Amino acid sequence: MTAHAKCAKKFLADEPRADWHDETLWLVRTKRDRAAAAVDEWEALREQASQIKEEALANLNGLLKQFEAEATKNGAKVLWATDAEEFNRIILDIIRQHKAMNVVKSKSMLTEECGMNAFLLKAGIEVVDTDLGERIIQFRHEMPSHIVLPAIHLKKEEIGATFHEKLGTAAGASDPVYLTHAARLHLRRKFLAAEVAMTGVNFAVAETGSVVVCTNEGNADMGVQAAPVQIHCMGIEKIIPRQRDLGVFTRLLARNATGQAVTTYTSHYMRPKPQGAMYIVIVDNGRFKHLTQRSYASSLKCIRCGGCLNTCPVFRRSGGHSYGYVIPGPIGSILAPERSRAGGIDLPFASSLCGSCSNVCPVKIDIHEQLYRWRQDLTLQRRTSFVKRVAMCVAGFVLSSNARYNFAGALGRFAVKYLPRFLLYLPLNVWGKARELPVPPRESFKQWYKRSHNQ
Amino acid sequence: MQIMKSEPKYRHFIENLRAAGGEIVEIAAHTGSIAALFPDAIDFTQETVRDQFSASTSLEDLDKLECVIFEGSFGVAENGAVWLEDKDLPHRILPFITQHLVLRLDSANIVSTMEEAYDRIRLSETGFGVFISGPSKTADIEQSLVYGAHGAVRETVVCYNPSNLSSKG
Repeated sequence: MTAHAKCAKKFLADEPRADWHDETLWLVRTKRDRAAAAVDEWEALREQASQIKEEALANLNGLLKQFEAEATKNGAKVLWATDAEEFNRIILDIIRQHKAMNVVKSKSMLTEECGMNAFLLKAGIEVVDTDLGERIIQFRHEMPSHIVLPAIHLKKEEIGATFHEKLGTAAGASDPVYLTHAARLHLRRKFLAAEVAMTGVNFAVAETGSVVVCTNEGNADMGVQAAPVQIHCMGIEKIIPRQRDLGVFTRLLARNATGQAVTTYTSHYMRPKPQGAMYIVIVDNGRFKHLTQRSYASSLKCIRCGGCLNTCPVFRRSGGHSYGYVIPGPIGSILAPERSRAGGIDLPFASSLCGSCSNVCPVKIDIHEQLYRWRQDLTLQRRTSFVKRVAMCVAGFVLSSNARYNFAGALGRFAVKYLPRFLLYLPLNVWGKARELPVPPRESFKQWYKRSHNQ
Repeated sequence: MQIMKSEPKYRHFIENLRAAGGEIVEIAAHTGSIAALFPDAIDFTQETVRDQFSASTSLEDLDKLECVIFEGSFGVAENGAVWLEDKDLPHRILPFITQHLVLRLDSANIVSTMEEAYDRIRLSETGFGVFISGPSKTADIEQSLVYGAHGAVRETVVCYNPSNLSSKG
């Protein structure tokens, strides 16, 4: 059994919760459908967004240089990090240079990818995550289970218990309004005390050297505008060429993520505040190498809306933590084999290949086709499990000969009909672990066809 | 959007702002103060008020602000967003730190889509700019929508001169 399948089994053991997870994300998906259907030119927007991202990735070096030049002109300091270690080191240096002790951070999957919180904690700096969902899982020492809804795996009673312990809310209280208000008061104090505020980046505009951050909660701005030092962290693929392109992406992002017409706040940071400092850290961490993998490079177009997670039948029924990679769901499953240090090579198999992910993707990444390609490549590179490889060899042997195929079919029908249950469902039969074998037909299709057409 | 060609942008703006949790007040005149509507508000559209607050005003003082008023540059019909930038803001944190954000908006200053919005903005000429659509919100606890995550708990857009629109459509 592979890692994803094992973890998914654990997730599914709590059936009411698994059902709730499934239904809730499906509701988000239906909201997304309504929002998309309300825009007549939706498909044209997706095509435009896809082309802009392709253009950006094709000219990445030039655009990054242009971005650096413009941002520097605006008064921001632009720094470059090759990998996670260098990135974390740069952030720590900035924090130390400004003698900061209080650091707040709005959502950034990049800092999750690079393990920044843990790194800074070792150096004595406790970063406070300010997105409500992120703060909840930070209190609980968990990873986000969804890139847009980080605490979607939790029930309000669990969050209530966590807040009771950490924030002193009333025991047993689980009302979302009450809990959100408690978090608001707690995080206001953190915002006002912060010397450094970090954010992720949704879009970086090469033409103007500005970064754009989208939030509903307003936590990016409460941090950035309160702290003297602001740091924006971005992967190289966040670049878009022109200011005008923002029109396309801001129309797609929130609609595809949550079904909102736009996020509450779409913030554009161009210059530091008076007497403030502004840093933009641009991180590679395997992205340039990923770009050279031609069949997989287009996964770098992703704008992290989470649409493919919400629609995926496997994600909805297995939960984000089952994936074991920082970006879960279909998009994570095509990133992980290239970028995850832990491997993630079972993830392309954690899919039904139904193609729904590709259909909802706002930048038209061929996600399910890449999942299929990864399966083939991983098998050819002998990176899949031994059992799977042997099974593939046997299947190849059987399917490549007419006689062997006919014989195997007859044998199968015989076996399912007459063998005792314990033999049929031996541990070797992975397929039968959660499923019943079908009732075998009397004859094969070929036999039936010959019989019924030769009369 | 196709719909917008047949219906006034203003109506769409209001619908979408309400969907985002924002409140609407329509007033006829664009001159004068709207102080009567929000008696406790600090009205940053008044120059004398702007002069009392600067980028160096302490955060603790700003944190006490219950209600502030700004003039929005323009609104976006397709999503109810209003654009604010440095020149409107004596301190960048003001629209976020206040409990109740009030934005005055000329009803004629509404564009249809975000593409049109970005055609009107000069990012290179400002230090900070933000589209705001509704009050701060979160659904991170069991997907229950709650207003007032970190930013303003309430947002009211005061649209003036709506009657002028009949000629402009």
